[in-house]
Amino acid sequence: MRKDRPKNRISLSMVMTGVVIALVLAVLVSALFFFIEFYENSMEQNAAITSEQAVVQVMNTVEDYTEDMEESMRLISVYMGKPREERDEFFQSFMEIRSDVVAVTTYGREGELLDCWSNGLKRKSVILQNLSYLEEPEGKGLRISKPHVETLFEEYYPWVVTICQNMRDGDGQELQVFMDIRFSNIADYVDDVGIGQHGYCFIQDTEGNLVYHPQQQLIYSGLKEEMTEELNGLPDGSHPRSNVIYTIHTLENCNWRVVGVSFVDELITGRVERMVRICVILLLLVLVTAVLVGSLFSRLFAKPAKRLTGAMEAFEQDAENFQFVDVRGTSEISSLSDSFGHMVVRIQKLMEQVRQEEITLRKTELNALQAQINPHFLYNTLDSIAWMCEEDRTKEAVEMVNALARLFRISISRGHELITLEREVEHAKSYLKIQNYRYKNQFTYRFDVEEGCLTYLCNKITLQPIIENAIYHGIDRMVDEGRIEIRIREEETAVLMMVTDNGVGMSKEQCREILHREAGDRTGIGIKNVHDRIRIYFGEEYGLHITSEPDEGTCVAIRIPKLKEGDYEGK
Amino acid sequence: MKENKGSQKGAHPWLLLLGAVILGASYLIGIRYIIRNIHLSENEYGETSRHYVAVIAKSTTSAFWKSVFAGANAAGTEYNLILTIEGPENEEDYQTQNEMIRTAVREGAEVIVFSAVDYHANAEAINEAAEKGVKIVVIDSDVDSDRVSCRISTDNYQAGRMAGRAILADSQEELRVGIVNFDKNSANGQQREEGLREELSGDDRVQIVDAVNVLSTTEDSKAGTINMLREHPEINVIATFNEWTSLGVSYAIRELNLAEETAVVAFDSNVVCVGMLETGEVDALIVQNPYAMGYLGVECAYNLINNLPVENTQVDTATTVITRENMFEEEGQKVLFSFD
Repeated sequence: MRKDRPKNRISLSMVMTGVVIALVLAVLVSALFFFIEFYENSMEQNAAITSEQAVVQVMNTVEDYTEDMEESMRLISVYMGKPREERDEFFQSFMEIRSDVVAVTTYGREGELLDCWSNGLKRKSVILQNLSYLEEPEGKGLRISKPHVETLFEEYYPWVVTICQNMRDGDGQELQVFMDIRFSNIADYVDDVGIGQHGYCFIQDTEGNLVYHPQQQLIYSGLKEEMTEELNGLPDGSHPRSNVIYTIHTLENCNWRVVGVSFVDELITGRVERMVRICVILLLLVLVTAVLVGSLFSRLFAKPAKRLTGAMEAFEQDAENFQFVDVRGTSEISSLSDSFGHMVVRIQKLMEQVRQEEITLRKTELNALQAQINPHFLYNTLDSIAWMCEEDRTKEAVEMVNALARLFRISISRGHELITLEREVEHAKSYLKIQNYRYKNQFTYRFDVEEGCLTYLCNKITLQPIIENAIYHGIDRMVDEGRIEIRIREEETAVLMMVTDNGVGMSKEQCREILHREAGDRTGIGIKNVHDRIRIYFGEEYGLHITSEPDEGTCVAIRIPKLKEGDYEGK
Repeated sequence: MKENKGSQKGAHPWLLLLGAVILGASYLIGIRYIIRNIHLSENEYGETSRHYVAVIAKSTTSAFWKSVFAGANAAGTEYNLILTIEGPENEEDYQTQNEMIRTAVREGAEVIVFSAVDYHANAEAINEAAEKGVKIVVIDSDVDSDRVSCRISTDNYQAGRMAGRAILADSQEELRVGIVNFDKNSANGQQREEGLREELSGDDRVQIVDAVNVLSTTEDSKAGTINMLREHPEINVIATFNEWTSLGVSYAIRELNLAEETAVVAFDSNVVCVGMLETGEVDALIVQNPYAMGYLGVECAYNLINNLPVENTQVDTATTVITRENMFEEEGQKVLFSFD
């Protein structure tokens, strides 16, 4: 397993939240764009269609009106041929019925005013300027002038257009007949036509003169402008400008054009803005939801999963001391957690079992080792005793035999592993005595034991292997007299035993090695064995510590806990 | 640790419930907001948001004021405002005007579009109205108040000078001028006279023989003019400054049959005056733009209500000199004759 997993991993909930938000955002934004595009298009088309319809309607009405005028002109031409009385009678009733006709005038070939009929208006005695007379009326079909003020009557100046036709009277004399019309009839109709909220229709002639505009007075007052000149150059049809759609239709029977003006801006922009606003609100709602769902998700799934992973990691690091706390969440997480909990308990149980078994095994092994008797040592010692007997050194031989007997008795110790320090010291003394005989006093030894320490317990055969090592590897090779010193004293928390010799010493490597090397054939129980036993019985903080200086000597310090008889059994 | 586990276990259903409640609530609020938004936007031009604007004029009968009202109504319709239009019976009645201001304020007018009969006597009522949060737009004739948001009128001084130039265009060797002005307390009449005097003062031919102030009615000004002409028969130029006095002067000239001998420079485009311009009693008309005044006044009111910027606090509407020569030219027609 890799230990160095990156710390800032992206959590599942973050990914989920991010994905949801991004998806929703993408969908909404693209939908919004599509919608706006589609909406704008259809609205613009709609606007153009509405405008077109309105204009066509106005055109039809205006056309009806102009046809009506034509009809009137025909009627007039019929009566022009009739005698004067009949003609006057006709005009009187005609003017009464047609309130939109202000005046009908006839002119001779030279342009002299012949007759003037009106609905009871008083004609000026002196006409300063007659705007109703047109030198050369233009246009095909009906000849209609541009709007002007009626100037024939006293104190009456309405805005009119003049329609003109050449006729013949009863005598076959050529006449020009002019009819002045107010637009009151069309005006009401045109005023009411609306396109969208602020759109409208107006009429202009083919020269770009305004004929009728719902806001004509505003235009005449200089408060508003209509680009009649520019529109004049445009053919019939719809003409979208930056935020206005102009729809133009020319009348068939005269030179008038109906222009529809609709404002794209107000139609589309406002609504699109509104839609955008709504979409933004929706977006925010979705975002809030996503965050809430995300946090809920994380609370329900991701966080417990994370805790579970954390627990597993902790378990991986330190299986022995791990304590598992249940992780709650969705049922999946719960069952996962339960299974993991079971597993942890089971593994820890198994580990403990294995450890216990190993310890038991080691102890058995050690016991077996301790029971072993080094055959060389026994052979050599018995050889020495045989020698003594042969030389009649009976007293010494007896002492040797006694020492040997004591040595073995303590070694066995009825199978106990721990013995008192007193007996351990006795054991060491017996061993030294025997060895001293064997080595013919090549070395001296000295015990320096604090009285209080003697009752503490220690592993049996602790000192002997160290002394043995000191003799075989330290003193045996020396030329001078060897010296071995054994000191035991009590410290605050432990008992310290020190075996010091002045032998050949060891290098640092040898010191380290000696604690890890298994015992060879020659020596019964190795130093490593002593070290291991102490640590198994009392723990890591106890054991051997070797300091040595080549050609100076070696000091082995053994640290054991302060343990008395009775304490051990309790453990 | 055990406790923690327990509380965690307990917290979950609550958290879920809380989340659901918050979610539900936010959706409800959101949807309600959207619906309200849609409704609001549909009502944007609807009935709910109509504002009340009161137009209080100097008079309601003259052609000038009718044109002003036409302009005001056009703007009122365009901006969907509730508009009331009223004025006193005679052009000296500042008390009735003050009463009208108070009534308009009581009835919740947001803006008063006002034309003062009396520069000083109307000031108090206007200040009172402004004190109550009503915005004031002045058209045509000014009032002595610094609470006015916008003034829309003819530049009266310049109009007076225009009238002066029209007099000086006369080729006679001596110009003996008689002035027939209306009420001294009306600001615009005084400004026009001032402009006229200033313009005339530079010419040696001019001698101002007499100046009278008459009531702003046809009868009174006619009588005043006849008196003045009887007293000073040498007068060969008469200047007068509003519609009613113009009418009075021209009737007097017609009655005295002095159309040929006397040059008359008058104001505004009453049809009778226009007729007399044709027949010669009147020789020049200083025509203002009353329609624009009314329209711009109400438009300004709309801007004030909606907190839109009012670009100019002083708007001068156009003034044109119309004589017999240009009255039937295309532009002359547009200025002189209203389209209705």
